Amino acid sequence: MVKADDDILKTASQCRHYAMCKIDYLGTGLCPPGKRYHYVSYYPQGRMDLYAAMADNLIPVTEGLVHIAETCSLCGVCDLQCHFVTGLRPLKVMKALKDRVEDYLKAGGKPVSIASDEPLRCLRSIVGSEWATNDPAVLVTYANDPFPLADLKMPRYVVLPGTREEVAAVVRLANELGLPYAVRGNGGSVFGFVFSEGIVLDMQRMRGIVIDKDNWSAAVGPGVTSFELQQEAFRHGLRVNTAEPAATVCGNIVCTGTFSTWSYAYGTAADGFIDLEFVDARGQIFRLNDKQAPNVFAFENAVIPAPGICTEASVKLHPTSKDEDGVLVPFWDFDEAVALARELGRRRIGLAVAVLGIHYIANFMSPSKDLAGRLKDVLPETLGIRYVVFAIGDRFARESIQKLAGPVIDSGLWRTLTLGLPRLLDSEWLDLVKGFEAGRPPYEILCRPEMRPLVEAVLRPSPETLAAAVEEDLRELYTGLYSQPRFTDMTWLNMFRILSSRMSRRKHMFAFLVYVPLDRNDVINHINAEFARIAAAQGLDHDFGFLTPMDLGKRAILEYDYYIDHTDPAEREKIGRVLAEIGPWLDGLAERTKGVTFLKYVFSQGCSRKENFLYR
Amino acid sequence: MILITGGTGFLGAHLAAHLLEEGDEVILLARSKQGLSAADRVGRLLDWLGVAANRKKNVHLVEGRLEHPGLGLEPDASALISREIDEIVHCASSTSFAERRRAEVEAVNLDGLRHVLDLAERSRCRRFHFISTAYVAGINSGHCLEELVRPAAFTNVYEETKCRAEWLASERCAKAGLRLSIYRPSIVYGHSETGRSLLFNALYYPVRTALFLKNLYETDIRERGGRRAAEMGVRLDGDGWTVMPIRIMAEDGGGINVVPVDFFVRAFGAIRERAVDGGIFHVVNSRRTRIEDIIEYTQALFHIRGIMVFPAQDMEGKPRNALEEVFETYLEAYGPYMRDRRIFGAEKAGPILDDKGIRCPDLTFDIFKRCLDYAVQCGWGTRLFRG
Repeated sequence: MVKADDDILKTASQCRHYAMCKIDYLGTGLCPPGKRYHYVSYYPQGRMDLYAAMADNLIPVTEGLVHIAETCSLCGVCDLQCHFVTGLRPLKVMKALKDRVEDYLKAGGKPVSIASDEPLRCLRSIVGSEWATNDPAVLVTYANDPFPLADLKMPRYVVLPGTREEVAAVVRLANELGLPYAVRGNGGSVFGFVFSEGIVLDMQRMRGIVIDKDNWSAAVGPGVTSFELQQEAFRHGLRVNTAEPAATVCGNIVCTGTFSTWSYAYGTAADGFIDLEFVDARGQIFRLNDKQAPNVFAFENAVIPAPGICTEASVKLHPTSKDEDGVLVPFWDFDEAVALARELGRRRIGLAVAVLGIHYIANFMSPSKDLAGRLKDVLPETLGIRYVVFAIGDRFARESIQKLAGPVIDSGLWRTLTLGLPRLLDSEWLDLVKGFEAGRPPYEILCRPEMRPLVEAVLRPSPETLAAAVEEDLRELYTGLYSQPRFTDMTWLNMFRILSSRMSRRKHMFAFLVYVPLDRNDVINHINAEFARIAAAQGLDHDFGFLTPMDLGKRAILEYDYYIDHTDPAEREKIGRVLAEIGPWLDGLAERTKGVTFLKYVFSQGCSRKENFLYR
Repeated sequence: MILITGGTGFLGAHLAAHLLEEGDEVILLARSKQGLSAADRVGRLLDWLGVAANRKKNVHLVEGRLEHPGLGLEPDASALISREIDEIVHCASSTSFAERRRAEVEAVNLDGLRHVLDLAERSRCRRFHFISTAYVAGINSGHCLEELVRPAAFTNVYEETKCRAEWLASERCAKAGLRLSIYRPSIVYGHSETGRSLLFNALYYPVRTALFLKNLYETDIRERGGRRAAEMGVRLDGDGWTVMPIRIMAEDGGGINVVPVDFFVRAFGAIRERAVDGGIFHVVNSRRTRIEDIIEYTQALFHIRGIMVFPAQDMEGKPRNALEEVFETYLEAYGPYMRDRRIFGAEKAGPILDDKGIRCPDLTFDIFKRCLDYAVQCGWGTRLFRG
């Protein structure tokens, strides 16, 4: 077979498995074969893996691979979807995959037919013949994630159950056969935990959402993503506290509990749901609200298994008001930013609050990696912004924030800065802005309402202006996207979180999350400084991520991010050393300091009461 | 041999060129920046300064970092400097006024000085020239003397750290038996005869801002229907001049004390030659330039009308438009220098300069034009180090 093209292989290897190609977050439609066949192998994510796997000679050309290749029509939906968050252009990989398979067949190659076996026959009898397979072209797309410390773990079978009864039957079968199993909610796990040498259950087909307005709840199947649930809630004028858009709701709840900027008002872990349904390790179905159900509300500071496979979640819905909007308060000093966030928590002002680092802001605003990199330099150097306190609130909340904080970037200015971003970074304008500086940082003058006409005259914000920052053939599409108000609407963006994957555009992100006492700046600063020191010692890129107040500003969740090239073996070694250092350090700190809990120990205990891990 | 810190900066580079012309051998402490190596930067600067080829051989480059103990020098370089230098000209400085940058400013202006003094003490160096500023006077409305001062307050962190640095240099040099000369220029702009400059802040910034706004709104009028220009009351007159109605607050009697870089260099040379035992010297202009004159020059040079000076009391409580906000913000930072009424005494420097026939030229329209033409031509400095 012809050698893989290096450039195409590089793109394929950079897929972060964020599964953003599996949700229609741009309103451009979904990859048609993915939508039809559900296996991740049929989505661009799977096809990227398949191209890389073929290049590594991990799989032969199987009948499954031929089908996967043939069903791609090269419609191009994936190119914009993927570029929007990662900057990658997967269409060339899709085409190369098709070409390779076609070339193989044209050269007289015969697709390998994988024989069925008894376990597969049993699985198919449970879920139907279409929804269980042992074809390596499918299996390999469930065998690894861009987590550099996890090796490829090829499952024997992948199964897509359609009902809770089917899930229960698969579990019982696995027990009978002595096969291990793992559940992949949306076919991806960026931390590389969820693999099995036995059966992988992909819950893609269980996508039911039933809204019960009277009970302020939604019954959600395990294949439903955060984006899809939020979309449904939004249609009803409601909101849920959701995680990353492509993450499944059930998986997220069970894994770490849902935390986001909305956790400021809506809480986390057990706060987010009314009831959950599980299939336990014996294949029995139970609900948490059963009197005999195991007590998953307790928390143990240890790594323990999940209570079972969540097959339905009854999730809380929250009211919204028409005058909600976002606001950003810029800061140079971290402690001052934290103080405002804490104050908002204590005064119960706003619905979503977070202190964000500039890597976040720069990437949220920028449609390209280059622009984000430049903005990340300009924010502190020229504008005097190293942190922002981001908040969503009604007009009363926003007025209060402005009174408490002073200069703010309101939604109008945010839109202006976003749509005029390429001109914001114009060097002549920046030189002029720099000159504003003396006792007060330059952002203050940009935030003044009187300055708005000048800022608009300079930036000339428009979808076309922003789209000029991306490759020429994508500009029309970007213009179309940014002509839609939601793409610059802070509330919408924060509800749907479609920009969060941009954090990893430059490199794969390794997020460390720690619950912290929000009244202990010394502890928070120590944690940030240690993360920074450990990363710097290994030569890893790193940045403060965010800090979201919780429980009336008493506690918070802090994210610190490391960035690695997951395809580089040297970086793999570095992250290994880093993890070996971080674990014991955080364990020691948590033991000595009330309010500190490493999220590692909340994994699989996401159903617990937050009080049980916040106030140990 | 003379060690010059900040040799790739505005004043340091000019002083280096001057000393080379005088036949001295210099060591420049420099570092790589903006993608250019220290050697590249120095090479380009020497070319820009027009240093003759036969003089360039007298330039030695040492890569170092002022903020680092021992200036971050390799042991060999450090030993060489200690053995060879007779004088140090300490020009390196952070000129940021930004309070948020206090740590950086202190690191350069104080820690950096300490590190240079450490080197001076362990070397054969006997003279230490410290380039300070007239504005160590701080917030002071009276007569400023050529002596160490302790003002009650400063306008910004730059003034404060330079003042603290003078005391530090004075104490350390006295203990070490080094002869210390402190040079206190006011605001230095480009060359009065050629207009050439390396730095385009202070005097240049508001002019550049006016030109930026003129170009912005002219383009809006010519290419986009002029809606945004109209919002600000900006229009084009029939003769092609741009009308920008901007009121700028000013007070009677104040002005800006500016000196051209060629005057500063000559003054430095004369003081170094004559005041061998050291001392403190104001290198200033005996006459201030009024803000009204700068506005007039700017408008005449760039074909602008409508910028007017208003007495502060007439502006009080009145709303400002965006353009006025821009200038007012600038004046918040630079007002004390633009509306300055202080008298900088030159009892020590004056006689030396008079004796040598060195006189600071006034900022006339001709000089202003030369300097601003050069600024525009070189893209306000952006083209100086372009690869």
